[in-house]
Amino acid sequence: MKNRIKQAICPVLLVASLIAGGTVPAVAHHSFAAFDTTMQKVISGTVKKVDWTNPHTWFWIDVPNDNGANDTWGVEGISPNFLARRGWTRTTLKPGDKLTVTIRPAKDGGMGGMWITAKRPNGEVLSMGGPVTNP
Amino acid sequence: MERAWRIAFGFLSIALAFAFVAFAQVPKTRNTPTQAEWTAMAKLPDFSGVWEPGGGGGGGAGGGARGATGAAAPADGRGAAPVAAGETAPAADGRGAAPAARGGGRGNAGGAEGPSLTPEYAAKAQAEAQARQANRAEDNPTANCLPPGVPAIMGQPYPIEILLTPGKVTIVIEAYTQVRHIYTDGRPLPDDPDPTFHGTSVGRWEGDTLVVESVGFAKVPRGINFPYSDKLKVLERFHLADPNNLTIETTIIDPEALTKPYSMGSRNYRRYRNWTVAEYICQENNRNFVDPDGKAGINLANPLASPK
Repeated sequence: MKNRIKQAICPVLLVASLIAGGTVPAVAHHSFAAFDTTMQKVISGTVKKVDWTNPHTWFWIDVPNDNGANDTWGVEGISPNFLARRGWTRTTLKPGDKLTVTIRPAKDGGMGGMWITAKRPNGEVLSMGGPVTNP
Repeated sequence: MERAWRIAFGFLSIALAFAFVAFAQVPKTRNTPTQAEWTAMAKLPDFSGVWEPGGGGGGGAGGGARGATGAAAPADGRGAAPVAAGETAPAADGRGAAPAARGGGRGNAGGAEGPSLTPEYAAKAQAEAQARQANRAEDNPTANCLPPGVPAIMGQPYPIEILLTPGKVTIVIEAYTQVRHIYTDGRPLPDDPDPTFHGTSVGRWEGDTLVVESVGFAKVPRGINFPYSDKLKVLERFHLADPNNLTIETTIIDPEALTKPYSMGSRNYRRYRNWTVAEYICQENNRNFVDPDGKAGINLANPLASPK
């Protein structure tokens, strides 16, 4: 299993993927200011912790690094309120789950990013948008 | 004799103090609702329930998600590319490009034309735009959990609930756990209100339309993308477009800043009967921040120290 960090993809691809139906997790209580919205990055690893919290969810992912250890990445998602109306629960992702996440990387180069989409090893896509599930 | 006089004076003082306190606690205009007033409530349009904002331009998360899926787009007449919804979000916070280029707050369809500023305020707008360009502020204090004021607070990607009682409309806003109090008991707007985030609001019914006027606004991010004076008045017209869609038209009135009222357009809200307003404590786990210079960042420290 390749858990290496794949490198950033050019903006053209980003826009193309969004138009193709990729979900933009609109961060609600402010803009995307801390993230580089022109880039995206793919990280693969194991869920370490889920913060099912306001104003936004945070998913902490252990990503193997070149030294044989893990780097813990923090990925910011939409609020639990928004997600809960679209099929998510606080246990949709659990510690130990394997995951490949596409993020908008933090501008400061730190190990953080904003959730765009994610995929489990079985191919299940975890989108943060979608129709409401409890109308 | 002198002692008796002193005692009498003491009693009088206490009585006066009690009378003063009692008088101060009497509501100035609010009366106990009568049975007739409760009965009259049944004739008002049904605004009850939980409504999700969406529609028009930058719809925030709601607009983005719907745009991506199309699930609710037909009902709301929307379905724009999600990238537009997300990327235009900063406009809701009173920043960004020149006023004329902005349609208004988050989720609004936007006015047909830009605000018509008086010469004095046009100059202010230009100076502020230049300052913004020089500072390159990336974000505003909403990143630090300060709620945006009216009207932007009405268009966050979280639902609102409208409660009608005799003499009052109460709007419970999930985002930032805010509440608006709109008095419909006939009281006038205050002459010199303290400036607040959501202003002081009174409302009246024009047929099936609730007309709300608010004054007394603090200078906080509120989705009005031009400088305004302390004479700012926000006019909102609430009406049901159909049984499960509510429209709010927002107009900005400011005799010092604007030569004529500025329409921010309409925002649509869809009713979800099974929804409840959820808790939203922004300070719970806010890892986003903006510093006094407008520089934005995220705090990744202590991931395991989060409360849940």
